[in-house]
Amino acid sequence: MRDVQSHRLDAAGLVDRARPLGFRFDGRAYEGFLGDTLASALLANGVRLVGRSFKYHRPRGIVTAGPEEPNALVALREGARREPNSKATAVELFDGLSARSQNRWPSLAFDAGAVNGLLAPLLVAGFYYKTFKWPSGFWERVYEPAIRRAAGLGRSSGLPDPDSYEGAYAFCDLLVIGAGPAGLAAALAAGRAGARVILCEEDFALGGRLLCERDAVDGRPAAAWAARAVAELATLPGVTLMARTAVFGAYDGGTFGAVEKVSDHLAVPDPGRPRQRLWRIAARRSVLAAGAIERPLVFPGNDRPGVMMAAASRSYVNRFGVLPGRRVAVLTATDDGWRAAFDLAERGARIEAVIDPRPAGPPALEERARRLGARLLRGGRVAGTHGRLGLTGVTVAAAGGRTERLPVDLLVMSGGYNPNLALTTHLGARPAWSEEIAAFVPGGLPPGMSVAGAARGTLSLGAALREGHAAGREAAEACGLGGCAGEAPRADDEAAGLAASWPVAGARKAFVDFQHDVTVADVALAHREGFRSVELLKRYTTLGMATDQGKLSNLNGHALMAGLLGRPIPEVGTTAARAPTVPVAIGALAGHARGRHFKPTRLTAGHALAAERGATFVEAGQWLRPQWFAAPGEADWLATVTREVRAVREAVGICDVSTLGKIDVQGPDAGAFLDRVYVNGFSGLPVGRARYGVMLREDGFVLDDGTAARLAPDHFVVSTTTANAARVMKHLTYCAQVLWPEADVQLASVTEAWAQYAVAGPRARRLLEALLGAAADVSDAALPFMGAREFEWAGVPVRLFRLSFSGELAYEIAVPAAYGDALGRALLAAGAFLGVAPYGSEALGVLRIEKGHVAGNEISGTTTAGDLGLGRLMSRKKDFVGRALAGRPGLVDPDRLRLVGLRPLDPAGRLSGGAHLLAPGAAATTANDLGYVTSAAFSPSLGRWIALALLRRGPERIGEHLRAVDLLRGTDVPVEVCPPVFVDPEGVRLHA
Amino acid sequence: MPEAASMPGTSRPGTSRPGTPSPGAAAEASLRPVPAFGGLAASSPDGRLVVREREGLGLATVTARRGRGGDLAEVLRASRGLVLRPGPTVSRAGDLALVGTGPETWFAVGAGGGWRFSRALAATLAGLAAVADQSSGYGVLRLSGPAVRAVLAKGVPVDLHPSAFAAGDAAVTLAGHVGIVLWRAEDRADGEEAFDVAVFRSYAESFRHWLFASAAEFGLADGPAPGPGTAGAVSRPA
Repeated sequence: MRDVQSHRLDAAGLVDRARPLGFRFDGRAYEGFLGDTLASALLANGVRLVGRSFKYHRPRGIVTAGPEEPNALVALREGARREPNSKATAVELFDGLSARSQNRWPSLAFDAGAVNGLLAPLLVAGFYYKTFKWPSGFWERVYEPAIRRAAGLGRSSGLPDPDSYEGAYAFCDLLVIGAGPAGLAAALAAGRAGARVILCEEDFALGGRLLCERDAVDGRPAAAWAARAVAELATLPGVTLMARTAVFGAYDGGTFGAVEKVSDHLAVPDPGRPRQRLWRIAARRSVLAAGAIERPLVFPGNDRPGVMMAAASRSYVNRFGVLPGRRVAVLTATDDGWRAAFDLAERGARIEAVIDPRPAGPPALEERARRLGARLLRGGRVAGTHGRLGLTGVTVAAAGGRTERLPVDLLVMSGGYNPNLALTTHLGARPAWSEEIAAFVPGGLPPGMSVAGAARGTLSLGAALREGHAAGREAAEACGLGGCAGEAPRADDEAAGLAASWPVAGARKAFVDFQHDVTVADVALAHREGFRSVELLKRYTTLGMATDQGKLSNLNGHALMAGLLGRPIPEVGTTAARAPTVPVAIGALAGHARGRHFKPTRLTAGHALAAERGATFVEAGQWLRPQWFAAPGEADWLATVTREVRAVREAVGICDVSTLGKIDVQGPDAGAFLDRVYVNGFSGLPVGRARYGVMLREDGFVLDDGTAARLAPDHFVVSTTTANAARVMKHLTYCAQVLWPEADVQLASVTEAWAQYAVAGPRARRLLEALLGAAADVSDAALPFMGAREFEWAGVPVRLFRLSFSGELAYEIAVPAAYGDALGRALLAAGAFLGVAPYGSEALGVLRIEKGHVAGNEISGTTTAGDLGLGRLMSRKKDFVGRALAGRPGLVDPDRLRLVGLRPLDPAGRLSGGAHLLAPGAAATTANDLGYVTSAAFSPSLGRWIALALLRRGPERIGEHLRAVDLLRGTDVPVEVCPPVFVDPEGVRLHA
Repeated sequence: MPEAASMPGTSRPGTSRPGTPSPGAAAEASLRPVPAFGGLAASSPDGRLVVREREGLGLATVTARRGRGGDLAEVLRASRGLVLRPGPTVSRAGDLALVGTGPETWFAVGAGGGWRFSRALAATLAGLAAVADQSSGYGVLRLSGPAVRAVLAKGVPVDLHPSAFAAGDAAVTLAGHVGIVLWRAEDRADGEEAFDVAVFRSYAESFRHWLFASAAEFGLADGPAPGPGTAGAVSRPA
């Protein structure tokens, strides 16, 4: 059984009374209407207590009617979709909504944590730092977890988010931020002129304050005018209306970040629809029309449920048709605040008193208030509030000091307006102080931005409409659009006088920051203890650090500090507001790039075949490469890899090497170009031959190694390592475009165009003969070691290279990648009678370690060609990139670490990568370090572990005994230094 | 020695091209190509987005020899009737399109011919340009329909509004985290906009995930299997 909507008005407001929506709060069923927020629906049902405060667990109610809400934070939804710290004032009501209050136990009305309130004198600012000091190790393990349990806001579900998020880009001539009067006027003017306009509004309804006030625009009720304006905008072809979309940041180049709550107003997103969408909006011009936030007044007991902003009370009455209180006191330092008295009285509330600390104001307002029977307390103040879980009365003090208790259930307050100017400061501009409205207003602006309406500090409706219209028209003109912007909408300029009423030290339980329980006393304490800069004040008291980011509290806190310092507010300054201005879910930032889609995955043409053959894959950058192919009955990966290595050494294996970079180098200067980028010469390489080469970085260290084959006098194909493919392409492009623009050389990455398999082992030639038949002569005479051939076979072009990374008789065969899958299958079929085995990257690694070939572990960016035993390749007859700096003393120092092989003295000894080399008996200290193991493997060919290492004066130490000490794995293995080539050092096999 | 015709992955007897050289053990067999997207064809139920892989295209990168861009343009005009337009745009004549991808650099698209396309183009442009076959290097999808721009906007940081990206305009850009070459194709017969997207072959699966995730709200139904999947266990480097 649902409660009746005790505080719902019969007629007023924009909610749809024909569309009731059921919802639950703390398990109890209620009813609201379409067009409600959770907050307005709770107030309609007479629910005032909605949460407990962060530190003292004080009862808290609804203070605002918008996204700046500091108090009414709830956990929305259940299970994996539970979302803590949802602002009830910004949650659009939907049927079946379920919300729970936070930070209370066992119940909202009786909260054991409220005992903290009694300890308030102890729990002052800086309490943690002063109290939980000793022992220091307890902070992380004991104190902080305990504090985090005791204090805090909502709890996350801890479950994977079942919904999806996505990103999107948008472009426009004009981005209008905020669909209140200024924003609608700007969008209309620019849209009519023919501009591409995007209008973003955080709320689900467009109109802003027009929906909440009883003004007239162009002779119509404000909300009706807003509806007409929106309808016209919807007909303009260049205008995109984006409700539920908060612009949260301004970035370089006219780019803005915005988050669209696509499905937050639904229990579950529609199929295929994301929950939220992150927009990057590139706008030639922008108009900030984000309005202003009304500022609370700071007085004793100002946080009690039933104390509300005056403008919010008008929102509830006029937009939502909810009377938030029946006996009302109005505390206002602004003319604007008096309007709450009139609007609430109009809908049946009894106005007990209007308390205005200013000694005088417009007589018309006073006359109108007097007619309502309200008591007027000019120069008065509120001395206290009463009611355990909700307001039952206020104690007011007249100008003379006489106090009196009034029975009220609603106290509305108005302390002036803070323009929503955060987006103007994201690129570094600072706000400026306006004495006129006693608030910060935009100072500098990002390029292309203008500000209109309340966001600019313009607090009357007529002026806001005029400014918006002008800003929209000017933006369209700036984009070269000359269409007619139409007339500016007209409205009265109502009384908007105000006088600042800043908090003063001494008030008890007067809250400056509701959400973080920062009181006047805390700010005063920070002042006494020397934390006087606003930045230090923020860190010491946590003022403005809550989820509302100080939208209500900052200026009051800073003004209080200014008063304590006896300095003007603009001199004390304000903290910098940074993006995002509203909380943005990490999921929205990630979009579809989550889980294994965090980054792209690259698959070779042979991937499906490898998967069929039982491959285990390993990530190599973005690529997935087969790591090994486990056969049934193999105990572990080492058994598998050992079998694969033996297959290559004793029969034949095939390995997908398509991930190696392939760069097509063409042009009359191709040979000369390669001479300059490789340390060794290529211009003399005959057509039909390949050569191993080493490239250096400009600083003289090795960049990459690989082979280049000459296919024609003006055509080479360069191969790179998998890891450096993109880097080498970039480097060569730089060389061609920047270093030698005169060279007639053309580069193209053809990595993706070709699928390539290594075919290695003593039976490799027989396999190719069986595969290729008469299409190619693969005899040693026709295709000697380092030969390269192009021909057609089976209807496709083939590139066949006789290269060997394994040290065996070996080839690499390439076909266009579309045929890669078929090539792999054909190789396995043709080699079945030879015992062909596919092998993975792990066996590839073992084979090259046995052969002493360097790879990424050795080409680590810290090694020179000389370090790697490749110094003899460096030509003395020509210049090449890196030559000069490779000659620096530090790079030719004989003490450098240089490549050697290692084998354990004990044949059963095991080596590990990363182990450091030490002399026998030397302590394991940095000073004694002689080098380290770069690559280690069990060598099936030798039946023992072997390793490559970088060792100080390595080649001079061959034959020495050292220790390989791995402090991480706790091993200390005696080793002998040996040459790095363990298998077939004479190269007989690869020339077979 | 196995019978070549029984090899997995080779075409069945009768499907090999007449006149294909039939040497040695591979006699009677020609290898079966696998399209980058596995022949993807998919559509949202209401036709707001239609996705179709353009199979069998001839693709090549074309880079003018130093200082020969003018001669190259002249030869293309004379031999193929193609007027080469500067900048990131598509120049078309008959079955040939050249997509501007950089200074003096084009992505050439032939309506057919596969790897043979680049041979013919290289012969035409001998001495004037470097031509590298990319027929296998990219998969090309044709995306069209009233939702096509809304879907592309979810990953492509380029303004594709007709006022900014007209028919024939091209961009080398990104879709999500995947590099693409994108150009506005000729509108469909029903007047709906169409775009061609060229994706490096190895990224096809990742692009496909992005596309289907982004088009999910339009009900894009999952097409046929995308060729090579990511089946198989993945181990992390130790």
